[in-house]
Amino acid sequence: MENRAKSSEKSKKGGWIFLLAGFVGALIIGWVVFPMVLYSKQPQPFNFNHAIHLNPEKVEGIEGDTEAERCEFCHGFRDDGTFIGIPKLSTCTQCHDDPESPLSDLPAEATFLKKYVATETQVPWLSYFKQPDCVYFSHIAHVKIGNIACKTCHGDYGHLARLPLYEANRLTGYSINIWGKRISGYKKHTWDRMKMDDCADCHKKMGHPEDNACFVCHK
Amino acid sequence: MELNRRNFIKLLVGGAVGIQVTPLPWKLTDDVAIWTDNWPWVPVPPRGAFTSVKSVCTLCPGGCGISVRKVDNRAVKIEGRTDYPVNPGGVCPIGMGGLELLYDKDMRFTRPMKRVGPRGAGVFQDISWEEAIGTLCSRISSLRSEGRPEALAAVDGHYLRGSTMSVLIERLMKAIGSPNYLRVPNSEDTYRIAGALMTGREGPIACDLENSDFVLSFGCGFLEGWQGAGRVINAWSILREKALNNKAKVVQIESRASNTASKADKWVAVKPGTEAALALGIGHVLIKEGLYNKEFVNNQCFGFEDWTSPDGKEHIGFKTLVLKKYGPDQAGKLTSLEPARIVSLAIDFAKAKAPVALFGKSKGLLNGSLYEFMSVMALNALSGRLNQPGGILICDPLPLAVLPEFQQDAVASTGSRKPRIDGAGSSSYPCTRSLINNFADTVAKSDNSPVDTLMVFSSNPVFTLPDGGRFKRALEKTPFIVSFSPFRDETAFMADLILPDHTYLEKVDDVVWPAALQFPLYGLTRPVVEPLHHTRHSGDVILQIAKKLGGSVGSAFPWKAYEDVLKIRAMGLFKSGPGLVQYEGKTTFWEGLGENGALKADYKDFDGMWKALKSNGLWYRPRYAAGAEQSLFKSPSGKFEFYSTLLETVVSESAKTGSRDEILDAMGVHARGDEVFMPHYEKAAVPEGSGNYPLRLVPYAQINLSSSWVPTPPFLNKTLFDNELLKDESFAEMNPKTAAEYHLEEGQRVWIESLSGKVKVRVTLFDGAMPGYVFLPRGFGHYAYDEFLRGKGSNPNTVIHPSKDPLSGLPVWWNTPVRITKA
Repeated sequence: MENRAKSSEKSKKGGWIFLLAGFVGALIIGWVVFPMVLYSKQPQPFNFNHAIHLNPEKVEGIEGDTEAERCEFCHGFRDDGTFIGIPKLSTCTQCHDDPESPLSDLPAEATFLKKYVATETQVPWLSYFKQPDCVYFSHIAHVKIGNIACKTCHGDYGHLARLPLYEANRLTGYSINIWGKRISGYKKHTWDRMKMDDCADCHKKMGHPEDNACFVCHK
Repeated sequence: MELNRRNFIKLLVGGAVGIQVTPLPWKLTDDVAIWTDNWPWVPVPPRGAFTSVKSVCTLCPGGCGISVRKVDNRAVKIEGRTDYPVNPGGVCPIGMGGLELLYDKDMRFTRPMKRVGPRGAGVFQDISWEEAIGTLCSRISSLRSEGRPEALAAVDGHYLRGSTMSVLIERLMKAIGSPNYLRVPNSEDTYRIAGALMTGREGPIACDLENSDFVLSFGCGFLEGWQGAGRVINAWSILREKALNNKAKVVQIESRASNTASKADKWVAVKPGTEAALALGIGHVLIKEGLYNKEFVNNQCFGFEDWTSPDGKEHIGFKTLVLKKYGPDQAGKLTSLEPARIVSLAIDFAKAKAPVALFGKSKGLLNGSLYEFMSVMALNALSGRLNQPGGILICDPLPLAVLPEFQQDAVASTGSRKPRIDGAGSSSYPCTRSLINNFADTVAKSDNSPVDTLMVFSSNPVFTLPDGGRFKRALEKTPFIVSFSPFRDETAFMADLILPDHTYLEKVDDVVWPAALQFPLYGLTRPVVEPLHHTRHSGDVILQIAKKLGGSVGSAFPWKAYEDVLKIRAMGLFKSGPGLVQYEGKTTFWEGLGENGALKADYKDFDGMWKALKSNGLWYRPRYAAGAEQSLFKSPSGKFEFYSTLLETVVSESAKTGSRDEILDAMGVHARGDEVFMPHYEKAAVPEGSGNYPLRLVPYAQINLSSSWVPTPPFLNKTLFDNELLKDESFAEMNPKTAAEYHLEEGQRVWIESLSGKVKVRVTLFDGAMPGYVFLPRGFGHYAYDEFLRGKGSNPNTVIHPSKDPLSGLPVWWNTPVRITKA
């Protein structure tokens, strides 16, 4: 009986350390390891330099009086109101039409011309903002009717010389931009996250709570 | 501090509590939910630009206009066009499923192939187009240099007579020097002969369904897909609307309660094969009670009253024949109907303002009975319903230009004059142009096949012919078989060489007057997508074959591409007078057809017309055709002939080679005397040895199952009920009374056996099935194609023991003696 008291005392004493160890271990796993492991880093087919293309001094032909209009030159709307999204090869070849004559000396363009323009293959861009299939989103409603600037939801890509690193969620296949770069989901800017709650918050803030009805986005 | 069990548990608990305070469980849950959205087999529509391509469907003779929605380069949906004067926005299930025929790779040949396995195994090896065309050409050249070009035969499955593909195939055969151009028979063949014999015209026979107020349908499956569902189902809805106000009535005459019969105003079940007797029984009442159109009959018909021919011989008229032999009691006995019913049908028919009697059977994709069609035509004539609104319309063929004449060389000239293997056009079958059943019999029975090389275009005779497997046996004897089919079908499996065509969504082709449409219309398909594989348009391949053969064959085909041929033929339309190439859809195309005002073309010149044809797929003239200015009938008497003088001439010519009785026996005609040349009822020939086969098999078709050479789009299998197809077994419908006689229960597995073969099916009890008959659906029993079509159900065609239709010689497929045993 003595031993028993002793051992239980011992275990009681060492017990809370295990509790603590488990707790801290879980915290580390959940906050540090998990986000590292959850996302895989994938390279884009080659680098696209937004900054150069949107600089009217460097590149002629991408028309528009405002920055937004210049974004829409490639990421614009078709006649029937559908959003083009990531442009197809035919948009690029409006200027980069001849695989033999590059418009710059950048290796990225060389890759582009050789691998894609010459072979008439679409570039397999990895999309940062693709939403799951259950989501219906109308760009024209937000851009033309809502007058929302592109960077409000997407951040400012226009000044980037390099495409950001694409990180894909290993489970779902979607980009890290949807949940947000912070695993906590904490949002500082409007473009940090693009989950359902973020859309709902903005609808409410802009005075359109009725747009939070389920069937508006989940048709 | 030891890691004992308790502490371990504490570790875990600590971990469990800790993990709750991290994003992990919440993010993981969310991610797992999204993961379930993304399994690789879940179909996701592509993203891209939406476009629509307008074309015309050619999966059946109906010629419906279709609009194909595309996302970038992928076709995603087929819809009916509202701007096409055939189908007001509608399309049938098979038409809608056409995309599966385009994209299902397992079902198609993607490039030319040659057989490397045993015949029928379907094992092929890829070859180049050069090698494929070269192989066929050297085969044909050898036949020509050996002086036997007639050993080349071709089977053409294009539905509509006068299709440019058919014209080219026939021209190729003539240029090479073979008469053995065969067509897969459909109801159009029987219409053509009936029309030729009674009206002297061989053009399309149309019906103005939409404007009728009493439709007496001898088996036409309006809701089963008869003559183009896009148009007919719209016509049906018009008739139903009128019927609600008692302004129209549809009577369906059929031995089975099909969908059409079930939804008609009246369903009259007659014994299959006795429809002629019913038509004549109704005619009897009309004549006896004086309810027929005396003006039309007396002024525009020949052979109604008794008459004397110029040689002094006395002839009985149609009136005498019908009054004598087809009284209600007599007709009732033959058809197994109550005599009073026949009388009331006749009175209803006569009372209607715009009645029409239609003949066609099921989907119209199989031939009919010639004397039956003639009897029903006679009924329309009695009531003066020819070329009247709501009636039967006898039309001139579309005025397409004739291709320029060409010179055959000596080899071709001799070869094409040799007698046909199928005996069509001979003294036994003077009226019919092609008898593929005879062809199959002759080849199958021969020691040395008269056919060396057989080419198969747009058809799958091994599966679709109701012949108990005879065609397949003929193929087994044929040294070399070439298939142009885009699909891996049963006939292609027997082939030695495959030169695959594009599917209909990948090519330009024409629709020469959609079946039964009331006015002339020429449709043109256009490629909806670029050809997906290394297939080639068979029209272009024919031009390439001719060019490679060279000589007089090459000179007969001086065109670079198939489209050039289409353009030449279209010139005939332009020269024939004004037509329209746009249809707004605001007007209903079946109204205003009788207007006399001059039509104004909506194009300025031929180039404008051709351009519109290519982009809009349409040229039409919305007027009742033919007979407007000139005489309607082109028969020897210039009238509608109840007594066909043309037929009499033809039989007399044939009788020069033998006694008249012998000739009539060879034609399968039991009647004698004047009756032979008039519509009459012929009792079905029962094949020898049928004593042990007490039941009769009747195949039927349905709208969501393809029974023709076009495969059923696999997803339509999902629309079949459990008593049509259950797992891999199909069903035979039997009346419960008949089933009880054989002690059969619902779902019981049985063998249905005829003199030709047997199939295993399950029984389903159906009150709508005529007692004494067994009904099997056509379209099941594939063993080629892909995993979704292969091995599902049984094919009634393998059991059908076809006798020959009297006079036409075409197969009788609606009456096979069978017996049933438990499996």
